[in-house]
Amino acid sequence: MTTELLIHVILGILLLLIPAGALYWLDRQQLKTFGVAVGRMLVQLALLCVLMWALTQLNSPWLTLLWYFCVTVYAAFLVLKRCKLEVRRLLLPVSGGMLLGVFLVGLWVLGIGLHVRVFDPLWFVPVMALLMGHTTTMMIRGMNTYLTSLKADEEQYEFLRGNGVTHFKALIPFLRRSLLAVISPTVANLTVLGLTSMPLLLVGLFVGGFTPLYAFVVMLMMVVGCISASVLSLALSIVLYELSQRYIQFPGA
Amino acid sequence: MLEVKDATISVGGRCLVKGLSLIARDGQMTCITGSAGSGKTTFLRTLMGFLPVESGFVSVDGELLTVASAPAFRNLMVYLPQEIRQLGHQLRAPEMPVSEADEYGVWNHAILPSAVAAEAPEPLSPEAICELAGKTLREASDRPIVIADEPAADLTPELTEQLLDLLSVQAKAGKTVLLASRKPQLLARADLIFNLDTIRQ
Repeated sequence: MTTELLIHVILGILLLLIPAGALYWLDRQQLKTFGVAVGRMLVQLALLCVLMWALTQLNSPWLTLLWYFCVTVYAAFLVLKRCKLEVRRLLLPVSGGMLLGVFLVGLWVLGIGLHVRVFDPLWFVPVMALLMGHTTTMMIRGMNTYLTSLKADEEQYEFLRGNGVTHFKALIPFLRRSLLAVISPTVANLTVLGLTSMPLLLVGLFVGGFTPLYAFVVMLMMVVGCISASVLSLALSIVLYELSQRYIQFPGA
Repeated sequence: MLEVKDATISVGGRCLVKGLSLIARDGQMTCITGSAGSGKTTFLRTLMGFLPVESGFVSVDGELLTVASAPAFRNLMVYLPQEIRQLGHQLRAPEMPVSEADEYGVWNHAILPSAVAAEAPEPLSPEAICELAGKTLREASDRPIVIADEPAADLTPELTEQLLDLLSVQAKAGKTVLLASRKPQLLARADLIFNLDTIRQ
């Protein structure tokens, strides 16, 4: 079975001869770059699948949760790096917000929406990974908008505070802007859902042997989960950030 | 009534106001003036409890105002800041940004988006500044103290007069109106003037 699979994979990879041949003919210099990119993709894909295999083989909820924790911290780190934000000051609230936001929504999607065994790695890992991937993207938009609008519109905050508004109430205009920064691409993508974005995941579900009805349910739950997880994570991250600003003294700050 | 007694205010080690005493009474328009950098804004911010007094005290109707107690006192105040022209988003909330659908769809991100910084609002026109000032005063009509920092800095003489009329109405209604300004047009309408340059000398 394994040898047969290997032979088929190698034969499948031979398809790369088409783009490689085209590059060899038209732009030989790019051939090496193309080869490196394909090689890197193969290694990453293999590592991901080995990890997935290990998690399903061991089938330990604690190990699955450890994977989730590591992925979340890395995702929060990516958000901060992309937004050029201070890791020391923001890693805790952002990773905390994402950890909780994605986890709660993920539990709802798995346990109630899809009604499967929540900590089964075969469900938990892909669902949480998808939710986390989407949330990471939205957090970059949301968190960055929140912090940069607070800086760009400092006068509005001062004005509200000067007029007797509490700190959290004075943050509402900035929370609104960060929410809109998350909702805007969501709306844009929902309008084209089914034309461009739907097939990728849906095709994956069909290839995995899902019936069209169950694939529809899973897809629907994922879309709903992605939107909710990103908004909840953003809200929690901002609340945790504001609380950390109030209660944690950062050395040198 | 807003009272300041023997107040000394320093920022970053620099003494801006030393031993200042003043009483801004109900029903009067009191104006703090002084050269640029004389500490007018800092003084107003201290009266609002954003900054502490080094010595002396600030009180509202006989009750001590400190940085800790200030949030409660600010519920009695209407504040028109110096940078009021930057408050475009207070007058009109920013609209939802327009986004294009991502190439691979929002649920299948291959590439993280770039972080786009939020932009500051366009500065308000003099007419819009007047509109916002009027709106702010109307919405807080029950508050007994009005504090305005250089409220006419970006206004034409006609609009300055319009704003002064608005502030006069507040004073006539029995409120304490405290202004910071160098504009002669504004000083001419004040009931009481405190010059920080003179006080420092």
